Amino acid sequence: MDQSWELVQEGLFDYPLADRQRPALLANRCNKCGKTFFPKRNLCPDCFEDGNLEDILLDKRGIIYASTVVHVTSPVGIKAPYAYGYVEIPKNQVRIFALFTGSNPLSFIPGQEVELLVETVRENNRGQKIIGYKFKLIS
Amino acid sequence: MREVYIIGAGMTQFGKHPAKSLRSLGLEACLNALRDASVKPKEIQAGYCGNALAPALQGETGVGQNVFWEVGISGIPIVNMENACASGSTALREGWMAVAGGFHDMVIIAGVEKTVMPKGTMLNVGGGELETQLGDVFPGYFSLIAQKHMEKYGTTREQLAKVSVKNHFNGTLNPYAQFQKLLTIEEVLNSPMIADPLTLYSCCPNSDGAAALILCSREKTRNINGRPVRIAASVLTTGTYDNQRDITGWEVEQRAAQTAYQMASLGPEDMDVVEVHDAFTISEIVHYEGLGLCPPGEGGRLIDEGATELSGRIPVNPSGGLLSKGHPVGASGVAQVVEIVWQLRGEAGKRQLTNPRIGLAQIMGGNKEGDTRACTVHILIKD
Repeated sequence: MDQSWELVQEGLFDYPLADRQRPALLANRCNKCGKTFFPKRNLCPDCFEDGNLEDILLDKRGIIYASTVVHVTSPVGIKAPYAYGYVEIPKNQVRIFALFTGSNPLSFIPGQEVELLVETVRENNRGQKIIGYKFKLIS
Repeated sequence: MREVYIIGAGMTQFGKHPAKSLRSLGLEACLNALRDASVKPKEIQAGYCGNALAPALQGETGVGQNVFWEVGISGIPIVNMENACASGSTALREGWMAVAGGFHDMVIIAGVEKTVMPKGTMLNVGGGELETQLGDVFPGYFSLIAQKHMEKYGTTREQLAKVSVKNHFNGTLNPYAQFQKLLTIEEVLNSPMIADPLTLYSCCPNSDGAAALILCSREKTRNINGRPVRIAASVLTTGTYDNQRDITGWEVEQRAAQTAYQMASLGPEDMDVVEVHDAFTISEIVHYEGLGLCPPGEGGRLIDEGATELSGRIPVNPSGGLLSKGHPVGASGVAQVVEIVWQLRGEAGKRQLTNPRIGLAQIMGGNKEGDTRACTVHILIKD
């Protein structure tokens, strides 16, 4: 039997989480130029083989850089209305694309503090939950 | 490098063509271009065809060979180009390089696409990208750009709507345009919200259509009773995917424009007519700035001043642009150049500008990590 869930993409975060393990996004960083990559890369595009990439966990706190609310159901099946945008992770100096979650999709505006969650993004046509990452407002 | 001229231009009407195949649309555009140039298929030495979505939507690959064979062009090098919305313009650049480099003396360029879907469906493309799997859609990405542009420069919803109003007006003067309908600012603002702040009439439609061009060397133009237009610059750039960049402008476009102006020894102030990639209203505003038609942040003011209307200082998208003419993805980049050729020759009918001599066409294709995969800029001159 199929398992009841699937990851939106391999290697973005640990799932399922072990006891007391907090969700975190898996990234890597070039130890030559210091640039951080999420999702992880195989090679630093600037330093090529002069740099070594080391695995890091991104800070779970971010700040919304840009946000929108989509009023049509997405082709992959995320029901409208839904909110997404870009989140800056100040501690890691990286900006990532992310869905927002919360009771009101209209409530996300640039500058607000948000926190990482790992949860269901949608269901596929076999009834499996697709697990991804989202950000919610820090209340 | 040799000088390259466009001696033939043709296209189909853009819109809904459920009864026509990719091949029949391509045939119509290619025949129009060949007849326009008074060139026979056997004189063509290479063919370049832009198409983005046929493998995904029609299950058809090798569209270039299919289309050119319909016209009777075969046996020669034929190349299929896919660069998303810039597929057609990338095909043009490949053809230009082949003639400029002395490899061929006469080539044909085509762009062809069928993207009209049942009402309400969004194109399901880019499924391999993480962003798409997390719900990213084209209007959503551009709405993020709109939000940041409004926040940084004070650009308003009304200014965005004016782009659609202008381009729909121009479209009513273009028999090849999908929409033949005037819109008011209120109609644009009050149309259904797609991705805040972009409404339905802030987004270009899905379309079917094709466009074609015939290119040749300077020597070949002597034997042809045509009205050659010279390609003064042809540039293709790719994004750098810097994920912390300011998204109110595209560095990939600024770089393409600067390179093109340098190649042509011209500046933005020399342009008499411009066609840009107005897939969304905000895009046209950002392209004004990226091409240097106004300083960064002043795109909203440029549309307010009427500078980009047909009667303005620098008319943009006289064809109606993607917003009104339609957007058959792989054909759009070629069709923009067809419009510039017609304008420079004085053959643009009711939307003809007064004696334009120099024109520019810009289009970009494909999102990747919040940046653009491909951007082309072409500058054309009627000597």
